[in-house]
Amino acid sequence: MLFYRSNSTLSGGLRILFVAAALFGVAVGQANGQLEDPEPIKPVPVFSMGAGFISSFEGGTPHLGPLISPIFLIPIGQNWLIESRDTFEADLSPPPGSNDFKGDLQKEVDYLQLDYIANRYATITIGRFLTPFGIYNERLYPIWIRDLQSDPLILPLGVGPTNASTGVMFRGGFNATPKIEVNYAAYFSAESSTNRLESDRAIGERVGIFLPGPRLEVGGSFEHLLQDNRSNAFGFHFAWQPRPLPFDIRGEYARSQNGSGYWIESAYRLNQVPVWRDQMRHVQAVGRMQQFYVGTVASESLLPVNTDMFEFGLNYYFQDNFRFVSSYGRQFAPLGGNENVWTMGLTYRLVFPLGNGEVE
Amino acid sequence: MTAKWPILAALALGALSLCLNLTSAQEAKNVTPNAPDAPRAAVARPNTAPPSAASQDDARWRMEGEKRFATNCGRCHQAPHKYPPRVMATAIRHMRVRATITDDDMRYILRYITQ
Repeated sequence: MLFYRSNSTLSGGLRILFVAAALFGVAVGQANGQLEDPEPIKPVPVFSMGAGFISSFEGGTPHLGPLISPIFLIPIGQNWLIESRDTFEADLSPPPGSNDFKGDLQKEVDYLQLDYIANRYATITIGRFLTPFGIYNERLYPIWIRDLQSDPLILPLGVGPTNASTGVMFRGGFNATPKIEVNYAAYFSAESSTNRLESDRAIGERVGIFLPGPRLEVGGSFEHLLQDNRSNAFGFHFAWQPRPLPFDIRGEYARSQNGSGYWIESAYRLNQVPVWRDQMRHVQAVGRMQQFYVGTVASESLLPVNTDMFEFGLNYYFQDNFRFVSSYGRQFAPLGGNENVWTMGLTYRLVFPLGNGEVE
Repeated sequence: MTAKWPILAALALGALSLCLNLTSAQEAKNVTPNAPDAPRAAVARPNTAPPSAASQDDARWRMEGEKRFATNCGRCHQAPHKYPPRVMATAIRHMRVRATITDDDMRYILRYITQ
């Protein structure tokens, strides 16, 4: 009876869970060939933290942005992992007519999740997790990873409030053939209005194909809200790192009733510049172009007018985990004003074992 | 009504997966290493192969691990410097979940970065 209902919620949920079930079915047939490492290295709990201080000028208004983001990774046995990331940040700027910088400290639980690595093909996650829509939110968001410090204009599309979901997720990556890797994520999220743990009631999925040879990844994402107007969001992403060059290019497109748009970003590490090699190999040049179009339903987390923006940045890596970042961007919004956006700052990341890190 | 069954189905799948993993882990102890896992098998029985073969396997592991390290880790961030082995074991498990790298990639990369 349940399967014959014409409710779109059910059909969406069925689709995702059937995909997950099919993947588990694959696992049934092939998990028996899985081997254990003869002497697996026992992982140790790890504390990591990203920190940064980003100053920016947006349309002539200065902003100071200190940020720290502690991460805890607690492995249990050979198949379990508890992981969490919190963010504490402030956006300090002078009120009109004042020279004093003021602002509130914002606290956020980015994720707090329990992962169970079921087999070679599937990992089950429960708790609060970053919404797997596109690649930016999950993989590129931390300030010590992102090449440009400003968020893409379309980032809020498809990821829900605070970029996170609360519920259960199936995900994994496996070799479809020796030259093709497939990765996927399918989730169900419950609605939460708890302060700092907000999430929408939704289902969604993301599928990507990675070709290790040319280092090319393409994929698509889908989200269906199970609340309010039950709208859909979808998107596509790609990333490419050609082997001969220290260069990468990435991009995303997303569309929902709140808006649509794309960003495309490329970064080039100046390793191969034939002058001042000792210094130039620490420098990274970045460029990003993006466009955003307002949708039929306004959203507080998105710009209220159609906007084009380009940015150019230069980063200097003192070490792989400590760098100086800078960028200049120009925002074109014919109906809402044009403005320049400058950013400058430092980002740092530390990793600290909570126990003996060496193999005994 | 509509909210209950996806959760129940997900929990059922989770339970099924748990059973599968326990079964496969038990059976894996009795499985003979096969061709696709040959590098891992070489690690399992280093004393049965002549030294030259072992060193060849080590070199193959190292080359494959380095290749997969460059291919996968650089997709999102700069290649990190090496931390103690047990820290790397945690980090690579984190990356398996976060970046959905494959099981084989995880093993090769972990071996490469902890040697």
